[in-house]
This record gives sequence, structure tokens and C-alpha cells, in this order.
Amino acid sequence: MSVRIFVRLGLIPQKMVFMSACCILAPIVIAAWPAFSAAVVAAASSLGYTVAREITRSDKSATASTQVQLELPQSELVMDRLARDQRLTVTRDGVTVTFSRDARGRAAICVDGQGHTQQQLRALGEELSGRVIQQYVYQKLMAEIQQRGFLVVENQTDEKQSIRLKVRHWEQ
Amino acid sequence: MKSREYELTISPKGEVELLVKGYKGKRCLEAVRWFEKIVGELKAQRETSEFYEPEEEVRYRIDQKH
Repeated sequence: MSVRIFVRLGLIPQKMVFMSACCILAPIVIAAWPAFSAAVVAAASSLGYTVAREITRSDKSATASTQVQLELPQSELVMDRLARDQRLTVTRDGVTVTFSRDARGRAAICVDGQGHTQQQLRALGEELSGRVIQQYVYQKLMAEIQQRGFLVVENQTDEKQSIRLKVRHWEQ
Repeated sequence: MKSREYELTISPKGEVELLVKGYKGKRCLEAVRWFEKIVGELKAQRETSEFYEPEEEVRYRIDQKH
């Protein structure tokens, strides 16, 4: 007969400890311009936008169309003095979205388009800015995961456009 | 060797849901903190069904044969 006994030494109910967790994390975007613009390009492409130009503020021409200004609240673009006027513009169906750095160092978004209401432009800007955060987090996570040598066993985008990653590693 | 697994879902709005699996004990929290450093602020956290398991180092198995 074989009797298998599990003895849990030191197991006191008050000292039971956390084991597995499910968390919700709100991203904070702290990026240099190259990393941020890479996320913008990836996000814009996923929504059918094309990159219009990457220019300095002094090159900007005035437009008379409807404009909406947005910002990424939890963001900080780290740039040296020479690069602070950099901006990136993407366009789709007559709507242009320009990403830049505001005076406080946050990522600013200007959505511009003729024949659209401010509400429509705001919705387009919010959709794109969400995707930018998604791409920024994805790229940052992938870089850290690869640096640690973790194995990515699943990497896909589902029907709701959420990116699903499953990562595994082994410890002694 | 113990297998650790993380499931991450990054929504189109940029919110991240993280499920940490395979940890027993306080090291689970260390894993959560590592992701916090990469991603951002922890907004919510809930324990899984394994919450009331003991730490690995205090569990022993005794096989007794007659």
C-alpha cells in the first residue's frame, strides 16, 4: 500500500501568501522620439493611415479645416534640444493626424480634416492614440522579453484588435 | 526547473491585462513589479484560484510505503 501525505510546514492561515495574479496595468509612455515614432508608424499602418511627412515645426503650413487637439496624458517624450520640434504626420481619407511634443514634454496630437465634425475628429484621434499606446507597450515588452531570453509561445491579434502574448520561462 | 508563464493582453486602447502563472509565494509579486516597471501603473489586481496555496519552499511531500 502506498500512502502519499502532503505536509505543509509553516502553513498558518494568516501567513498564506500570494501565488498567481491577474492585474490591470495603465501604460505610461516615456519614450525617446525614435521609439515613439516607431509606435506611431506601426499604429497608423494598422488603421490604414500612411505616413505623410516627418518635418520640423517651422515647415508647417496653416490649414483652414476643422482641428482637434489631444494629448497622451501619461506620456513624456524625451528629446534633446535639436529634436524638440520634430513631428510626424499620418493621413487617411482627408484626415491628417500630427504627433509632436508639447511644451510640457507630453505627446500632443492634432487631428485635422475638412468635412468632419470636431466629435468625429476627436474619435479618430482617440482611436489612433490608443493604438499608439498599444504599439508602444507591445514593442517595449517584446524588447524586454527578448533581452531576458523568455520564450514567446503565442503572439497574435484577436478579433477585438487586442494583442495577446503568452510568454514562458523556466527558473531553478 | 519550474515553468513560469505570463499572459498579456494589450487592448486597442492601450490597457494591459496581465496574468501571472506558476508562481508560489512572494516571487509572484516580484514578477508583477517587473511588468509594472516596463508598462506603467498598477490599476487593479486580483488573486487567482491559487491564491491560498503555500510558498514552494514550505511544501514537502512524504511518500510512505507499507
